[in-house]
Amino acid sequence: MSTRDSILARIRQNRPQATALPDIHAVPFIRYDNPFEAFATLIRNLGGDAVQLAAGQSVADVVAARWPDAGRTVDLTVAGHEEVDDPHAWHDVDVAIVPGQLAVAENATVWVSHPDNHFRSIYFLTQKLVLVVPRDAMVDTMRDAYARIDMAEHGFGAFISGSSRTADIEQSLVMGAHGAMAALVIFV
Amino acid sequence: MKDDSVKHPQAAAEFLKDRAQAKWHDSAIWWVRQKRDAQAKQLPEWEELRRLAREIKAHTLSQLDDYLAQFEANAQKNGVTVHWAADADEHNRIVHDILAARQVKKLVKSKSMLTEECGLNPYLEQRGIEVVDTDLGERIVQLRHEAPSHIVMPAIHLKKEQISELFHKELGTEAGNNDPTYLTHAARANLREHFLTADAGLTGVNFAIAETGGVVVCTNEGNADLGTSLPPIHIASMGLEKIIPKLEHLGVFTRLLARSAIGSPVTTYTSHFHQARPGGEMHIVIVDNGRSDILGNEDFYQSLRCIRCGACMNTCPVYRRSSGFSYSYIIPGPIGSTLGPSRDMKKHGSMAFACSTCGSCSNVCPVKINLHEQLVLHRKKAFDQNLLPTGKKMGLLAMRFLTQHPALFDLGGKVMRKVVPIIPESLTRHSAWSRAGRDLPPMPAQSFKEQYQQRSQNKKDKQDKKDKEEQQ
Ligand code: SF4
Repeated sequence: MSTRDSILARIRQNRPQATALPDIHAVPFIRYDNPFEAFATLIRNLGGDAVQLAAGQSVADVVAARWPDAGRTVDLTVAGHEEVDDPHAWHDVDVAIVPGQLAVAENATVWVSHPDNHFRSIYFLTQKLVLVVPRDAMVDTMRDAYARIDMAEHGFGAFISGSSRTADIEQSLVMGAHGAMAALVIFV
Repeated sequence: MKDDSVKHPQAAAEFLKDRAQAKWHDSAIWWVRQKRDAQAKQLPEWEELRRLAREIKAHTLSQLDDYLAQFEANAQKNGVTVHWAADADEHNRIVHDILAARQVKKLVKSKSMLTEECGLNPYLEQRGIEVVDTDLGERIVQLRHEAPSHIVMPAIHLKKEQISELFHKELGTEAGNNDPTYLTHAARANLREHFLTADAGLTGVNFAIAETGGVVVCTNEGNADLGTSLPPIHIASMGLEKIIPKLEHLGVFTRLLARSAIGSPVTTYTSHFHQARPGGEMHIVIVDNGRSDILGNEDFYQSLRCIRCGACMNTCPVYRRSSGFSYSYIIPGPIGSTLGPSRDMKKHGSMAFACSTCGSCSNVCPVKINLHEQLVLHRKKAFDQNLLPTGKKMGLLAMRFLTQHPALFDLGGKVMRKVVPIIPESLTRHSAWSRAGRDLPPMPAQSFKEQYQQRSQNKKDKQDKKDKEEQQ
């Protein structure tokens, strides 16, 4: 018998008594009166920031105002942006502006998933990450978020919350472990 | 690799020699437990979430074979290659075969307790493959040739001075610069080079979704993501208990994991891997290594619900005061103390005794595993299998005799309350109690039984008096 079949056979033999799958939608989860407020307050503790675009302002304006001396900037939210064949080619990106599909108020995460996975590495290689999210694409909790996600779509997707961080040295929180050192969410 | 000849009491005594560091260890970990409490309080549905998580996992285990088969079929539909490993050795062989066939020289690894359990690093290194652990804590213990001492905070047993010294030697950082930010960013620069030059990346798995055939990996550092989006090969190693039925169930588990683990609402990155990066390939290795046997054990199969958050260690008064290195099994603390003896009672039996049965672990566990009850059952097993050191065994036998003879027990207590206060200190200084730097506790004037009787009597007297007054 193959390893696969013998493992499955052993499990079948050892199966504990059957129990029912609970309905996770039957339980009320937290709701926020002002989801943006909840999101923005949280993300500040997570090494990030969130702003709402003012009338007449562009994403590029906000980014330029925040990081005037940024080096290589790649903006995936505009048409005709730069493309690469090799994920390593993003290694010196300073600011990456990427589309975010969904924001979650309870934990300040943004769901990113791009039709072209050549761009996957840019979320993590860039020094500063800017996530651009439509204002109405905000849900309260992760349960609502998963109800809106189509996983089959792109083969990869991630919830990103603030900047990369670690507390592995004596429990001191340090921003900028391997991924982005700073994160900015712009609601448009 | 872990030294499985460790016996908890001796190793703990060794750890406690450095009183200052032991105290720091205790308070640093307790702080994480407090952060967890603060997070739990923010969600009115916290207890409901725990119940849902428990029930989802219990259901999944009751049909684990079906869900695994479903997971495999869906992963294959996504173009992912699925492998099955009966034990650690087969897991390591499979990983090595994948790497060797593609002439991989360097592998970047994100945190995975499973590969620690399998001893993957030394296996690959002996075969000429460079393995770089990329989680900062894991990297630190790798450079020190140690095993992680905690499943979420692998280097929690170290002070920044020790890490500074290590980095000075290994990465050429400034001598004596102990600033955590400086040290972290030095490691960042060094590891980035490894990410950019690696030929393959390996990750653990937090959750595997049967419905979609993909895996979820949660990190704060982003190392799993760099390690899988840059090199062309991604290998994900998962214990077969990591399965959940549907994508929607992540809406329960991703809410519990980081809050329980580090007291944060979420990890920075919660990444869902269903396909390799363009031009690459993705493999998933499903590992048994004793799990299907535990599944068949009525008393202990609940431990397979574990999502490895580490909350039970952070709350455990014994773990906090003895460190992960006092436990022989690769996973320390309450969950390790039930998994270890389930695997091998002879090697890991002493772990089940590293427990005060306070029950705090069971109270924080996000999937409601009855940890402290399992530990008590393991103790009984160790006793029945005659695996205890003679002193401990005699002590337990004496205790059993006493509890079975209440009059004798009462008398013993009475004698102790009289005698202990007048024993000269020179006689007790070397007792097991005092050696750890404790004074003998003051003896109460009365036994618990006497106090209880007296209280009941007082209550009764009061009630009688009241009744009488009312009658008059
Ligand atoms: S036993 Fe429970 S508390 Fe302990 S690591 Fe596992 S899930 Fe977390």
